[in-house]
Amino acid sequence: MNCQGFEQLVLALARDQSLDAAVREQSLAHTEVCVRCAAHLAEERALLTGVRAVVADLAEQEAPARVEAALLTAFRQQVTTAPPVVIPMPVRARQWTSWQRVAVAAGILIMVSVPAIVWQPSSSRNQLREARAGSPTPAITSGPKTPLPTPSALDRDRDTAQQLVAPRPRHRVRHQASANNSDEAEVVTEFFPLRDGEDLTALESGRLVRVELAGSALSEVGLPVNPETVNTPVKADVVLGDDGLARAIRFVR
Amino acid sequence: MAEPVIPSDGELLRLMVAGDEPAFTALYRRHQGFVYRFALSMSGSTDLAEEVTQEVFLALIRQAHRYDPARGALEAYLCGMARNQVLRLLARERPYVPLVEEAEEGQAVLLTQLIAHDDQFRDCTRNEVIRSVRQAVLALPTLYREVLVLCDFQELSHAEAALVLDCPVGTVNSRLHRAHALLLKRLRVMGRFDSAAQDTQGTRCFA
Repeated sequence: MNCQGFEQLVLALARDQSLDAAVREQSLAHTEVCVRCAAHLAEERALLTGVRAVVADLAEQEAPARVEAALLTAFRQQVTTAPPVVIPMPVRARQWTSWQRVAVAAGILIMVSVPAIVWQPSSSRNQLREARAGSPTPAITSGPKTPLPTPSALDRDRDTAQQLVAPRPRHRVRHQASANNSDEAEVVTEFFPLRDGEDLTALESGRLVRVELAGSALSEVGLPVNPETVNTPVKADVVLGDDGLARAIRFVR
Repeated sequence: MAEPVIPSDGELLRLMVAGDEPAFTALYRRHQGFVYRFALSMSGSTDLAEEVTQEVFLALIRQAHRYDPARGALEAYLCGMARNQVLRLLARERPYVPLVEEAEEGQAVLLTQLIAHDDQFRDCTRNEVIRSVRQAVLALPTLYREVLVLCDFQELSHAEAALVLDCPVGTVNSRLHRAHALLLKRLRVMGRFDSAAQDTQGTRCFA
């Protein structure tokens, strides 16, 4: 090994970093025949000692408490004035978010506990009437679109989740299109309780979660499904009570 | 008994964005020391370090969405912001930054003194060593100072430092070597270092 090669390794040698044993041996052997490189290594080791003393001294240094106080004030102002911003989640964490878990839970609940849900899989009004024949046809009314919390908003914080008025069952509502997308209107079914005998009007508040379920899941429990849309995901809104349990569901088209 | 779960930076950040004050406090207390020490090492000024720390976390409060977890750890992101703030403030205050004191008679520190000896003057020696190294570091050009602070003082890996400095790892390596060479030269000047390395400067080894 020559001086140039030694220079490349001197920092690692001074810090006792892991080096190939043969390389380390060659480097140390070089210091025995080269006074200059041996002195350089000694200097680096001395410098490292000094740096460590500085690091130890710095370890006690922290920002004064007034910085934290000022930042907390700024944080409170920010919270009260600015709308929250969504932070992208790492890919791994994105795999099972809380709303997805709710979606799965809602799907299971639907299959197990919903005795009879009348669903309109087709866009045809006639098919709807046929499907609903024999039962009172729910009224389709127009009204302002109910603001729905997005999954990302739900992820933000449970405390900031939207509080909703208790759903009124047995009404079919056609949502008006949003101002930005006037061509798309949502048709929703009435809310169906997910617990037998539960009075949804007694539910004072809750959270509404938009989920997607496989259309085939409905057919498995004997609900009418249009064969053309059996593989199409079905949107649904699940009402979660304050205790986090799913209470009711409605389907969205 | 189950061990308490320590929330990750990402989790705390998401809660913070949702308005959770304890999450922000936890995040701040976790990283403020790192940011503050970086700024202090770079500038030698507690006032500037304080200002940088405040600016960095204010930016986090107001523009948290700019942090992309895919690009690296939050600490590296904060350090990158701190670096930008330090450079900006140093540029602003450059006309007022005092020159680093040259070694004067009686203030000289031998490089060999950097190795602390266990005697009654140990604390004095240690403080003198710290002062000397800090002075020498502050005298380095910013380009070399920042890489030395990140790798040696903040103990980041070269890859992490490369992320903060937004440059290749090889550049970090070469700058760190250069920074050490300049630092040793500076310390020799300050301490009238009489070493074999100095004596043999200019000689070439063909071993």
